[in-house]
Amino acid sequence: AALTPLPPPAGTDPATPLLCRRGAGAAVAAVAGDAGCRLLTVADLFDRVIRHSGRIHSLATALCEKRLPPRDNELGKSARKCHTSGMLTPNGTEYAQKIPREELTHLTLKLLQAWKEPLSHFNQHIEHHQELPDDSLSKAKQISNMVHELKTGVEKVTEKMQSMGIINNSLTGMASSEATGLSISNEANMMSDSDFIHCFRRDSNKVQSYLKILKCRIMPENSC
Amino acid sequence: NVLGLLGNIQLLDFCTSLGQSYPGKPKIIRCRSLEKETFSCWWKPGSDGRLPTNYTLFYSKDSEENFYECPDYRTSGPNSCYFDKNHTNPWTTYNITVMATNEIGSNSSDPQYVDVTSIVQPDAPVNLSLETKTSAGIMYLWAKWSPPPLADVSSNSHVYHYELQLKPEEKEEWETISVGVQTQCKVTMLQAGVKYVVQVRCMLDCGEWSEWSSESHIQIPNGESPPEKPTIIKCRSPEKETFTCWWKPGSDGGHPTNYTFLYSKEGEQQVYECPDYRTAGPNSCYFDKKHTSFWTIYNITVKATNKMGSNVSDPHYVDVTYIVQPDPPVNVTLELKKPINTKPYLVLSWSPPPLADVRSGWLTLEYELRLKPEEGEEWETVFVGQQTQYKMFSLNPGKKYIVQIHCKPDHHGSWSEWSSEKYIQIPTDFRVKDMVVWIIVGVLSSLICLIMSWTMVLKGYRMIAFILPPVPGPKIKGIDTHLLETGKSEELLSALGCHGFPPTSDCEELLIEYLEVEDSEDQQLMPSHDNGHPSKNAKRIPKEKDSDSGRGSCDSPSVLSEKCRESRALPSTLQTQDVRDVQENKEGKRSWETECIASEQKILLFNNESTKETTWPATQLPDNHLFAYHSIVDAHKITLSTTNVNITSFLVGNEEHQSQYPITETLHDDMEKQREMENLHSKTDQTTVQVIKNRPNDKSPFLNPKLMDYVEVHKVRQDKEPAVLLKHKENSRKSDKYTVPGTSKEYTKVSTVVDHNILVLMPDSRIHHTSVIQEPAMEMPQNLQQGQAEKNMSYCLTVPSECKRETSGSEYMDPSSFMPFK
Repeated sequence: AALTPLPPPAGTDPATPLLCRRGAGAAVAAVAGDAGCRLLTVADLFDRVIRHSGRIHSLATALCEKRLPPRDNELGKSARKCHTSGMLTPNGTEYAQKIPREELTHLTLKLLQAWKEPLSHFNQHIEHHQELPDDSLSKAKQISNMVHELKTGVEKVTEKMQSMGIINNSLTGMASSEATGLSISNEANMMSDSDFIHCFRRDSNKVQSYLKILKCRIMPENSC
Repeated sequence: NVLGLLGNIQLLDFCTSLGQSYPGKPKIIRCRSLEKETFSCWWKPGSDGRLPTNYTLFYSKDSEENFYECPDYRTSGPNSCYFDKNHTNPWTTYNITVMATNEIGSNSSDPQYVDVTSIVQPDAPVNLSLETKTSAGIMYLWAKWSPPPLADVSSNSHVYHYELQLKPEEKEEWETISVGVQTQCKVTMLQAGVKYVVQVRCMLDCGEWSEWSSESHIQIPNGESPPEKPTIIKCRSPEKETFTCWWKPGSDGGHPTNYTFLYSKEGEQQVYECPDYRTAGPNSCYFDKKHTSFWTIYNITVKATNKMGSNVSDPHYVDVTYIVQPDPPVNVTLELKKPINTKPYLVLSWSPPPLADVRSGWLTLEYELRLKPEEGEEWETVFVGQQTQYKMFSLNPGKKYIVQIHCKPDHHGSWSEWSSEKYIQIPTDFRVKDMVVWIIVGVLSSLICLIMSWTMVLKGYRMIAFILPPVPGPKIKGIDTHLLETGKSEELLSALGCHGFPPTSDCEELLIEYLEVEDSEDQQLMPSHDNGHPSKNAKRIPKEKDSDSGRGSCDSPSVLSEKCRESRALPSTLQTQDVRDVQENKEGKRSWETECIASEQKILLFNNESTKETTWPATQLPDNHLFAYHSIVDAHKITLSTTNVNITSFLVGNEEHQSQYPITETLHDDMEKQREMENLHSKTDQTTVQVIKNRPNDKSPFLNPKLMDYVEVHKVRQDKEPAVLLKHKENSRKSDKYTVPGTSKEYTKVSTVVDHNILVLMPDSRIHHTSVIQEPAMEMPQNLQQGQAEKNMSYCLTVPSECKRETSGSEYMDPSSFMPFK
């Protein structure tokens, strides 16, 4: 299924459906509301989710550096274990480029899903910890919202790609079960704040990288 | 007084009762020069007598009687005096005394005699560092240090000799090594495993040794010691696919040491060894794609091992995602775009580093460029984002810019090095340039307009002058104006000292037959043919009026032409003559000029009537004038080009009028000369001058002067070969050569000119011409003589005026009157 020939670039595809992003997705879209509805190509959507993930990563980095001195050697101080590290994700170019697009899309969604619950939990948690500076708190909240938005955005892109036959629907059922999500969240709740932020930062970077890879694999001519 | 004295005594008593007294005697402890250029002296104060005490240092030089006070109490600290360069003379002995003063009295130290050269003692060397090294299995100690610092940095060029001492820490005896002038030293024969203490000191020339420097300690490794801990310097991934880590080895403990690079990944217990020690060079480890994982923390250590043991570096943690540092961008090109309607702008474009695979989306690069004018200090930095092209507007024109670009992965990693410098010269603003050009053009054109209008005005003035010429009175001293006015040429001439002027004859007589003169060789021939004639003229003309310079003459165009020739041949002669002529002109010219003009006007009238014969003299006249000036011009321009045939005598006449004034006034006016030259050409080349004139313009009549000229032409012929050809009326040219002597016919009148160089002459019935012809032919063939003749000719210039006068009087003139007769 992964070898399905690529359709013509979405930007030139006259059949591209009108896609309006609503709700949380509106933050991703440059223009909110129905008034801003217009023909959005898959490339446009990809650019938006990539930009969005980049912003999330920047926020996570800022949060990370605030809590941890930006010394590389601090990285390994505690043998931290991220709750997502159990997930098998590509950790190199070769693997990331070999893995079927559907799977990569799914992995991205899975990663985002895995952080949704722990992030909101984390927000509640740090609200009670007055020692955190205010902007850290707001950043954490922002991150939480943005991850939600990003997930919606990625879902939209996936839908669209599926509707256009760019990727097949075979993976729809692979959406993370509630059970796994719960267990993951529990694990996440056990982490220290710094580990949590560190892990999230890493995964946000992963998400961004996967999205970029996906975009360039699907539309290699679009600024890749 | 007594009271005062009493008071003093009381005070003294009072003081003494309080224990107050004179200050104690200060003592000069030492004087020292660090480098022979300055020196300092220190003293030790005596007791202060329980009162605030001032210390004053006085010194005198052995060469002088004067006492001076210390120039600087501060530089060398308390109780010291510093003598700077200006106060230090190495050849002088200083006598130094310190005086302590308080309220009660003062006390002086014993004098100290100081010779600067003998008190030199530098400070101790500094920055002594020690290092052990092993070469060829032998361990040695490597010591380095710096010369003593001086307050005056500029004089830091002294050469010190050094001495090093060392001992094992626990021993008492020092071992001293003389080092020489180097600032480093290698010490061998050390005991392994012993800690040594090292010191150095220095000396300047023949001064004293400095103090020993502070002690340095070093542990000489013995054979038992393991290597030092290596240090991991850094890890870097150039393209987010592979990465490399480098370490710096510590000391090897005197034995060959092996380094092992070990790493473990986050979440794994297993420890791996470096997959590739070689690819990235010595002391490095290269991780290829397979061994590179992202979002994983590597825990890295380096272990140094020799036979004595091993030592492990501190661990280094690396997440490859964040150690990406790309290579600098490549193919940086700067292009200057010059759109038609806007300012030029700079287009920068570049390519991502070749290693970076930006197409896969795995690595996204962001760029930043910086630029500054070449001489500028501060860079202007522009963040470009992900584009690989950038347009720079608003650059300062005329400056040379340096541009560099670097890149970094988005969101993580670090900036690459800057790309190599690229230079671009921003041209000066074209529009400004254009403006300048247009301004220049505008200024120039307006200038030209101005000049033109100015000349127009001038010309207009001249036109007026031409139509209504001013009538100046004759300026020649001794000339009787009455005489001039009455128009009796003989009398006038005689008054001027011209003797032997030929009797006037009727011009008409001369115009009889046609003669054709071929003038191919004219340039050569003419002079000679002229020779005789001018001389004759010279003799005769002076009688009439000699004050006028060689402005032609009535006598002939050939004379004129000869003049030209002359001027070519002997410019210098001519010139001097001309100058003289000019002067003469001043005096004599005006009178005749006026007349000339007058006559000219008449001539014009005549011309209108087309009465050639009557008008000729007038025409002639201007020509002659011209010629006079031309010769001057000619002197400057040795070569003359060929004839300007088109100039008619009439025109020439006009020209003459115009140019006459300027010429007299400023001989050097180039414009005028130029014009003159043209005229001159016309004359010069006309062997048949007049004839030519005739041709183009029928108005100009006359053969007149020519009439006489034919004679000269004749002479020309004779010079080389009889070249005057008799042309029969039937026009059979060149049929036979006409030898002047033999001929019974005279050609006095030029009927036409053919082909520019052929004269058609009309035979003259008069016989006397023949003789004239012959005579000149015989005379003065040489140029020099011609030159003289030329000079003489100048006298003939007067003639024209005469001619004119006559013309004006009689309306037509007989050229023969000017002919030389024997």
